[in-house]
Amino acid sequence: MVFSTPIFFFYFLVITLLAYYLVPRKLRNPVLLLSSLFFYWWGEGIYVLIMFLSTAIDYTHGLLVERCKARGNLRGAKLAVASSIIFNLALLGFFKYWNFLAGSFAALGLDFMPVIQYIRLPFLDPIPFHLPIGISFYTFQTMSYTIDVYRGDTRAQRNILNFGTFVTLFPQLIAGPIIKYKDLGDQIDQRACTSEKFASGVQIFMVGLGKKLLLANNVGMLWDAYKAMAPADLTVAGAWLGVLAFTFQIYFDFSGYSDMAIGLGRMLGFEFLPNFNYPYISRSITEFWRRWHISLSTWFREYLYIPLGGNRCSRPRWMFNLFVVWAATGIWHGASWNYLLWGLYFFALLMIEKFFLLDKLQRAPALVCRIYTLFLVMVSWTIFALEDFGHLGAYLKVMFGLGGVPLADPAFGYYLRSYAPILIIAAIASTPLGASLYRRLSRRGQEAACTVLVIAGLVVCTAYLVASTYNPFLYFRF
Amino acid sequence: MSKKFSIFLSALFCAFIGGMLLVSCILPDVDFSQLENRKLQELPKLTLRSVREGEFMEDAEAYAADHIAGRDLWVALQAWCERLTGKQENNGVYFGAQETLLNRLEEPDRDKLSKNMEYLDRLCSDVDADVYFGLIPSSAAIWSDRLPAGAPTANEKAVIDQLYRSTRAETVDLYGALDAHKGEDIYYRTDHHWTSLGAYYGYTALMDAMGLEAVPLDSLTPVTVTEDFNGTSFSTSGVRWLPPDSIQTYIPGDGLKVTRYPDGSPVDSPLYVDSYLKVKDKYSYFLGGVQPLCTIETGLEDAPKILLVRDSYSDSLAPFLTKNFSEIHLWDLRWNNTSLQTYIAEHDINDVVVLYSISNYVGDTKQVLLTR
Repeated sequence: MVFSTPIFFFYFLVITLLAYYLVPRKLRNPVLLLSSLFFYWWGEGIYVLIMFLSTAIDYTHGLLVERCKARGNLRGAKLAVASSIIFNLALLGFFKYWNFLAGSFAALGLDFMPVIQYIRLPFLDPIPFHLPIGISFYTFQTMSYTIDVYRGDTRAQRNILNFGTFVTLFPQLIAGPIIKYKDLGDQIDQRACTSEKFASGVQIFMVGLGKKLLLANNVGMLWDAYKAMAPADLTVAGAWLGVLAFTFQIYFDFSGYSDMAIGLGRMLGFEFLPNFNYPYISRSITEFWRRWHISLSTWFREYLYIPLGGNRCSRPRWMFNLFVVWAATGIWHGASWNYLLWGLYFFALLMIEKFFLLDKLQRAPALVCRIYTLFLVMVSWTIFALEDFGHLGAYLKVMFGLGGVPLADPAFGYYLRSYAPILIIAAIASTPLGASLYRRLSRRGQEAACTVLVIAGLVVCTAYLVASTYNPFLYFRF
Repeated sequence: MSKKFSIFLSALFCAFIGGMLLVSCILPDVDFSQLENRKLQELPKLTLRSVREGEFMEDAEAYAADHIAGRDLWVALQAWCERLTGKQENNGVYFGAQETLLNRLEEPDRDKLSKNMEYLDRLCSDVDADVYFGLIPSSAAIWSDRLPAGAPTANEKAVIDQLYRSTRAETVDLYGALDAHKGEDIYYRTDHHWTSLGAYYGYTALMDAMGLEAVPLDSLTPVTVTEDFNGTSFSTSGVRWLPPDSIQTYIPGDGLKVTRYPDGSPVDSPLYVDSYLKVKDKYSYFLGGVQPLCTIETGLEDAPKILLVRDSYSDSLAPFLTKNFSEIHLWDLRWNNTSLQTYIAEHDINDVVVLYSISNYVGDTKQVLLTR
């Protein structure tokens, strides 16, 4: 189930909130656990077993690590952590990367890995093999748990229902943010549900819903139009317009989901850390990655970069560490070579910035820095958006005027005129301008503005939600 | 945020989503959406099998979406929002000049079309009758001056010319006939079909191709049968701010024997079905809409017999043909799997016209039936 569907918004959310607040306090976690399992099962069917498996395995590993440590058996603790990491990585590797690797090897003429189409389990019909939604997020979350217990950053969870609630928590289950157990463990055991928290959750959720339905989906149609064009039909200006649309689409889609997750979390009494901080106003790529998908960057920092030695080592080793982190970041985004390329593209840019460009950028005018950053980020999104290298190469050529196509055509004019208002709104919404204007209002002013915006948001988002399911069957189309 | 305001805001949010759920559940279920011209999803049955195969979840999601309170109003509001943010299209329908909605045509798949041409050529060689081929351009092509500037749509003239060059069938210059009268109301503004006037010009093009005499337009009297027609483009686009179309007929419907075969067995029927004027789908006034086969006997002696391999455009063309033919057979490949070639031979058909609107033709998957 995804948030931006009528069944989630008007059925699942209503019933879940109702049940959550009607049952006695100590039953709230079981209600959350049940509704989260339902949420996952609804869209993924039998794959919900992964939730049970993940919960059971990481729960026992957490306890094991703690017990070993309490008895001074460091080797046992290490083994337990390693076993938990191996399990989670195997889960991720199997579902996300097996067929990708099998296909890649097969392309080289090595077919020792069979392509999996069905999973066959005893007593069950063959299960069609696909990527279980959110697996990249929840395997990272559960992995952080045993590591944190090992490091002594948190205590192991003794109540398996509470631990299951952490693993399956529906607001962030399928699209993040990646929440570390040490940030959430105390809240799982005990949290305050106040009307202030609920109301701020409503605000953040509505911002997220608006980002997704009104901005991301909207500019997404523009990108779809350009993505579908054969390279020979593109124009230079059109190719850039298409990438600009994708630049906004991915930001508002992703940060919209994060906002919805954070908002839903608050409605249920949880505080999640923010995941995006206006990345498109960054003045360098280094800064961009401090503002983009913060929960992923910090995860890789804490659980990969620093364990590898971070920057407290020789320069070649440090570069190697960064290389590993960025290759992993790239391939984490999807099982396809273009994502790896995308990660390494950022590795290269960050190296260049760290070695000499960052000082210069600090002295340059802000506007120059922002244009520099946005330009490189847009190029990166081209790599990200086009999985087929042939298409990607042709598209990049057109962008840089090497495609032998015209600068612009009437269709470009049409798209620019049609989408200019929404692109301008998206550009403004990418900056903290709105938030700072809102902060300057008086308390009454804020309340009035908030009321109007929430009502308008509910009405307009519902219109777009319903329209997305509008599907006229006209007798002339079959 | 003050305590009072946060309670208010929380209540507002919960009241809205809870209220929507409540109203959607209380309102009686509507089975059929006139606007979308389709059956709405029924409340799915909970069975072990439907759940295991995920069918239950899909249907339940469709049910939730189909039966949301005020569905048609939300759709209209979305189209309004698109218009207010400067969009000039919604769902593939352009908001054109002169209060006209125009359907975009995607660039067709040329390989598939050349396959269709082979089927057509086989029909030409397999039957005794003369075979004609006509493609009707869409309003977006003929009224391209009404499109928003630069709006992308396939080059229909080029597609038609290419197909016409590659066929053995006699071709009918519908594009030229319609283009010559582009200043007149030859298409509906809110529907993708041609009007009866447009169909008349199509008829003259067909008569030209066949070497027959078309009845002159000034000998016919137009009769307006409704002024409240909101067509398919109205439905698809969600656009609710345009005035409705009117439907006219030029040929009286009496003195003809019309037989419909909605389920394979014959039913006597009028040329114009009045009951459709009371519902949303008013274009089906012509001959009663989609059907596998329909025949019209005109009582004209010594006149030839014609068979149209049809789509819905033929329904408003057929009345004019009653002036030149003794029998008119309308055959729909999409709903009729019986042998077309046997039927042509058995009924001594003189002329066969494969007549499609271009938007239907490029999407049609049943052309192979021409060869059976």
